[in-house]
Formats: sequence, C-alpha cells, structure tokens
Amino acid sequence: MKKKLFVLMIATLLVVPFLAGAATAKTLKVGTMSPLTGPYAADGNDIANGVRAAVAVVEAEGGIPGFDKIEVVPQDTACDPRQAVAAANKLINEEVVGVVGAYCSSSTIPASEALAEEDIPMITPASTNEKVTERGLPYMFRMCGRDDDQSKIAGAFIKDYLKAQTVYIVDDKTTYSQGLAENVAKVLAADGIKVVAHDHVNQGDKDFSAVLTKIKAANPDVFYMSLQNSATGSLMAIQAKRFGLKSKTVSQDAVYHPQFIEIAKDAAEGTFLTFGYTDKSKPAYKKYHDKYSGMFGEPGAYSGYAYDGAMVLLNAIKQAKSTDPAKIKAEIMKMDAAGATKQIKFMDNGDSGSDYVIWTVDGGQFETYWNPATGKLF
Amino acid sequence: MEFFLQQLINGLTLGGIYALIALGYTMVYGIIQLINFAHGEFFAAGGYMGVILLSFLAGQGYLQTHPWLCLGGAMLLAMVFCAFLAMAVEKVAYMPLRKSTRLAALVSALGMSIFLSNGLMLTQGVYDKPYPAAFSQGGFEFGNIVVSYLQIMIVLITIGLLIFLNILVFKTRIGKAMRATAQDKVMSALVGINSNKIISLTFAIGASLAAAAGIMVGLYYGSVNYTMGFVPGIKAFAAAVLGGIGNITGAMLGGLIIGMVEIFGAGYISGQYKDVFAFIILIAVLYFRPTGIMGENVDDTRV
Repeated sequence: MKKKLFVLMIATLLVVPFLAGAATAKTLKVGTMSPLTGPYAADGNDIANGVRAAVAVVEAEGGIPGFDKIEVVPQDTACDPRQAVAAANKLINEEVVGVVGAYCSSSTIPASEALAEEDIPMITPASTNEKVTERGLPYMFRMCGRDDDQSKIAGAFIKDYLKAQTVYIVDDKTTYSQGLAENVAKVLAADGIKVVAHDHVNQGDKDFSAVLTKIKAANPDVFYMSLQNSATGSLMAIQAKRFGLKSKTVSQDAVYHPQFIEIAKDAAEGTFLTFGYTDKSKPAYKKYHDKYSGMFGEPGAYSGYAYDGAMVLLNAIKQAKSTDPAKIKAEIMKMDAAGATKQIKFMDNGDSGSDYVIWTVDGGQFETYWNPATGKLF
Repeated sequence: MEFFLQQLINGLTLGGIYALIALGYTMVYGIIQLINFAHGEFFAAGGYMGVILLSFLAGQGYLQTHPWLCLGGAMLLAMVFCAFLAMAVEKVAYMPLRKSTRLAALVSALGMSIFLSNGLMLTQGVYDKPYPAAFSQGGFEFGNIVVSYLQIMIVLITIGLLIFLNILVFKTRIGKAMRATAQDKVMSALVGINSNKIISLTFAIGASLAAAAGIMVGLYYGSVNYTMGFVPGIKAFAAAVLGGIGNITGAMLGGLIIGMVEIFGAGYISGQYKDVFAFIILIAVLYFRPTGIMGENVDDTRV
C-alpha cells in the first residue's frame, strides 16, 4: 500500500512540469452570450458565430501580442433574464476580458448589471431598447441602433411615404417588441395618424388567425408587426396572406433575417422592415462576409454587428496593450474606423448611432427601399 | 356575422389539432394512468418527419406532379415512424417502471420529453425548417370569409381520424381488448389478453395521431421547430383533462372547446389573454365537475 502511494506521489511530481507548461500558454478569453437554444436560437447562434469569425480574422492577422490564442466562451441566455444573469456570472468566473451580447434587451439589461459589478465591458450587437445604454453603466456599448430612432424612421415612412391614415399595431409582449410598438404608437399619434388598435400576442404562439381576422375587419392602411423573432414573423406573414390582408405590413429589425424569407416565401414579398444600413460594397464588409460565409454559411441579421462588436473589443485590447477595462474603454472611445456594418464611432453613453433605413423583401431578397435622410427611394 | 363565422372556422381548425394531440394523452392515461409528457414530442417528431419526407419528394420533383399522393405517403410514413418511436419510448422509459410508483413513471416521462426535444435540436438544428410551399396558399372565399384548402383538409383529416379511432376502439376486437385492459389489467390477462402488447399498441395509436397533427401544423403554419411540441402539448393535456382524462370522446370535445375559447377570446377580447381564457375554462369546469365534462366518476375499487 505504501509503495503504491509512493509511486502515485512520484507520478504527481512528474505531471507538474507539464502543468506549468500549460499555464504559460496565455489565452485571451472573449465571452459571448445569446440565446443558443429556444425560440431565438437562430439569432443567438448568428451572434456567437459572428464573434467566432472576428476571432478567426484577428488570429489570422497575428493575434493579440502577449497572448498565444484567443478563446471564445459562448453562453446560452435562452432569452431568459434569470439565465442571462447566470450566464454573466459564469463569464465573470471564466475571467473573460469582455462580453459580446446579449440578443434580447430583456437579457442584456440584467446581465449588464452583473457584469458592471466586475467592470467587464459589454458590447451588445442586437439589443435595441433605449434603456440598454441609458442606465449610466460605464462599460456598456451598443453596436446596433436604438428603438426610439427606429420608431421615428418607421413613423416617418408610414406618414410620408405610405401616407397611411390608420395603423393596426401588434406586438408579442417582450421588452423589445412592446417597447418598440409603444414608441411607434407615440410617434404616429404625434403625427395625427390613427392607431386603430394595439393588440398583443404571446411569445411562442403559432396561430394568429384570431388577431388577423380582427385586423382584416378593421382594414387599416398599415399593419405594424412588432415581433421578437423572425420565425414568428414568417408565421404571421403566411397567415396574413392566406386571409387576404390588404394592409401594407411594416416590421422591424428582429424580423430582418434570411429565415423570414426562407419560411414565408412569397408571403414575405412586399413586407417593409426597418434595419440598419450596411454598404455591402465596402472592403470591410467583404472581408467579414468572406470569412463568415466560409465558416458558417450566409450571415444572419445580427452576425455583422456581433462581428463588429468583437472586433471593437479585440482591437481595443490590441491598442491598449492591456486588458484593463479603463484602458479598453479609452481605446474604444478613440475609435473612428470603418466596420463591417457601419462607421464605428461611439458616443459618450456607449451608443454608436442609429442608421435605420427602410428595407423591403423583393424577389426573395432584402433590398434597401426608402432612405429617411432624403425621403426618397434608393 | 362574417367576423364570427371566420373565427368559428379558425377555432375549428385549431380545435381539431388540439383534439388529435389530446387523444394520445387520454388513451395512454386511460390504459396505464400515466400522463405521458413526452407526447408533445411525438407531435414535433411527426412534424419533422413530414418536412424531411416532403422536402425530399420536392427535391425529386414528385411533389410538384402528385402533391396529394406525396402528402398522403409522407403522412402515413410519419405516423408509422412515430408509432414505432412511441413504442420504443414505452419500452425504455415506462415499461420497467410499471410496477413502481406513479410518480416515478411521471418523472421518467418528463425526462423523456426533454431527451426527445433536445435530440431533435441536436439532429435537426436550432433553425426553423420550412415546409415546401405546394399547399400553403389558396382557398375559397365567401364574401369576406376565407376558408383555405388547408383548413378544410385539416378538419376533414381530423374528422376522418376521429371516426377511424372510434370504430377501432368501440367496434373491433383490438378495441375491446384495449378497453378491457384499461378496466383491469390482471383480469384481462387472465382471459388471455396480452396487456403489454395492448399498452404498446395504445402508445402507437396515440403517437401516430400526434404525428398526423404535427404534419398538418407544419403545413398550415409553414414551418416546424424543435420546441413546437411544448405549448400544444400543454394545451392538449388541458383539453384531455377538460374532457375528462381517460375518455376518448371527452378529449375530442375538450380539444374543440380549448381551440374555440382561445380563438374567440383572442378575437373578441384580446390576443394576449387567449391562454388565460383557455385555462379559466379548464379551472371552471374542474371546479364544478372534477372529473371533467365526460369523465366518469372515479371508482376507488377500480384504481
């Protein structure tokens, strides 16, 4: 027995040098949180993949000095506020240098509070609710636009281009979709456009026949569809077409996803959506698109913003030559460069500006349609 | 009036789907007093089987030339597949626990449900799968009322399956054996009924009805995803309880009532409370008739 113990001790001793060898390989950990399972899994995986693509690009260009490799630590929020906080705590334990995420505004808000306690920078690629950057958190950044801007663009489009008199609003009661719907209702009311009704459906519903029959009976000029999920959007579009709804459908960024067209097919045609403008001929976009499509296939709606978010974080670390949050923040605020999706320049509150335009589905593709800056078609 | 009729048709479609799923719950409960929480996953598996088969047929070009034949074939295959899946689940998760407490089997059912839905996620991916578009549009219009071909098809198939099931259970020898096993397993075994086989068969029939519902839901709504079994599963379970769990006619009635209440609640009051209305009806009925609408009085000597 004693001999066995002795052998074991020697063996343990021999292992130590290898352990030390492993410990000297320094890894930079980048956290990402998004709904990897559940109804929002499509968007969630797009975000995680966007971060992975950014890491691949940075590593191919020589990585970050002082670190041997960059590791992506993905966490699943399931778009559930409690799970989002648990995911944030897990990332804190993993000692990540920064977090790209989350998707649902209702997850980003509580998760960012947890991360703020440890001063970990968080860059959200997709949470558009105004509150995300309005709580005075020093390390909260946002790559995408804001809902108050988005609703203004939607309102302007409905008023100036569609010249609608009546609008019927439906949302699915998430922080994001309801907040946006209420903003739009406010904007429309200020413009003197009548909101016939503001109805709600539940998350995860598949059958919208009752609410669509109501809309058909009300026969509004515009049907404003505020949903958290592109798949739900396609279900609604299919059923709306089946009921012969004549109203123009206006929707928003969460429905802007290739899946929307893939499922709804011809029922998606002619839907208008507010989404950020991306110049797809820019070299920065091409670089991202080549890398992403090589790794994961065609990018989703928020892959690009996730990619840019991760790029911002990694470039800031590279420039700062440190993972100290204050130094990272200083570098982020200094940035003024072309990203894949937009010009990257942050404001004091962490927003990077909204650049919403109106898109439409035409021939099975998302096409830019109306430019709010000029008030004309593209 | 038009509004009412349109909502009535909507309710009938949704109710028919709930009824088909509810039957599986009620049949299994009737025979082994187990609430099979994995039943919603048979529904999802059926939907996925449908999308796989129909996409394959569409790729081969058959779907465009013989749409109805392809749909019939796909539905039959999916039903057979889910029947076997259900029998396998019964063998693995429930049969070994037949002599243990009811709670053990219930926990096993919950575990099976999680296992199957995660299995679907891992094998089929997290993205929604679109159904081929061949059937999704078209319908009759009476003034402002739209009745799509799919709605008519769903109602007809549902009625057909319900009649078939009634004949099977109340008019055939197999049905007699099922009813005998439900009443008393030991006694029916004594007169030569293989109760294991009958239980297996009950699972198979319930799951194949769920699979048919899964395909119809996929066609009607245009897509399937791996979480699709959960909500309809809960609603159908409520329908089965509402009708009187264990009673086949009750499950059909319960499904229709839940579907109608949901649609009319959403149509006349507000869409956000439609689940609330469905469950208020459930609670109200259970308050006044704890055994459900068609439920028989539970005789303690039998259980």
